[in-house]
Amino acid sequence: MNKVNCEIVCIAAMAVADGYDSVLSPDRIKAHLAGCADCRREVEHLQALSSLLDKQERRPRTEIVWNRIEPRLPNAPPGQRTSAVLFPFILLGLLLLGYRLVEMIPDRHFGLLFKLIPILLVIAAFGYLRENPFKINSQLTLEGSATK
Amino acid sequence: MMDDQTAIQRCRGGDKDAFRHVVERYQAEAMGHAIAILGNREDAMDAVQEAFIDCFQTLDRIDLTRRFYPWFYVMLRNRCYKVAAKLKKHEVSNWDETEILAPSASLQPEDTMLLERAMLKLPAEDRELITLRHLDGLSYDELAKRLEIPQGTVMSRLYYARKNLRERLKHHAVTGFSEGT
Repeated sequence: MNKVNCEIVCIAAMAVADGYDSVLSPDRIKAHLAGCADCRREVEHLQALSSLLDKQERRPRTEIVWNRIEPRLPNAPPGQRTSAVLFPFILLGLLLLGYRLVEMIPDRHFGLLFKLIPILLVIAAFGYLRENPFKINSQLTLEGSATK
Repeated sequence: MMDDQTAIQRCRGGDKDAFRHVVERYQAEAMGHAIAILGNREDAMDAVQEAFIDCFQTLDRIDLTRRFYPWFYVMLRNRCYKVAAKLKKHEVSNWDETEILAPSASLQPEDTMLLERAMLKLPAEDRELITLRHLDGLSYDELAKRLEIPQGTVMSRLYYARKNLRERLKHHAVTGFSEGT
């Protein structure tokens, strides 16, 4: 069988070992494993690792974070803050709407500076959000590509 | 002790002390999860703090009929991955003792350390998935909901994460792991 089929069988075999149904029936998985030594070895190793991990527990944590959080909590109740957070976005929407209305006035030419206003508003919005729209996250990878 | 629903309702009225109950109930779990993602205690501490502050600010949106922690976890992991993205190089602590795994009866301390070091070399997403599945015992359905991905994706991601971990353990003789022995 080809590599893709082997991979699908291994994924399915591990899901079945975890007690879940997969796209392949247990009989098909068994049949493939019986004839494919590579997959059989792969699944055996992964099951051994899986049962080793199942025997482990998280280390209990003792850190106390409340003292650091308390001084930073806002005084207003949660619901009121939501409208405060939304206010800049509502303002941005109104400004863009106002700009559009002014732009629609016939026989008026406001010059280049006027055309730059929406761009400046968008830059201000990203500045407010403290986000860089051009930043590339080099750590993003396609699913499963890390193993290939 | 105050239950989650009562505490959250009081928080919505601006009672910060009620929020302390929520924080104290979940801070250990949150720290464990943040350390598993970030592999670094200080960054995990920052992410947990930010997540609790985000949580306090959005408590008016929580559905009180649902459990608190899975809802909070979404905020926590968002914070963790934001912190992780800001780190220029993925830095993990050089601990003398394990931070993710508890001492185990099934492994020698040095093997637990080897296993944890191997886990720390994984991408954060793989480490998160493995710890949620094996250390917390989450089902595929719970993982799908917690990570907001389909169950089929859980299945394949879990396979690749375990495969990744096995690759990193390949050359170490960890007792109880047949490939290494």
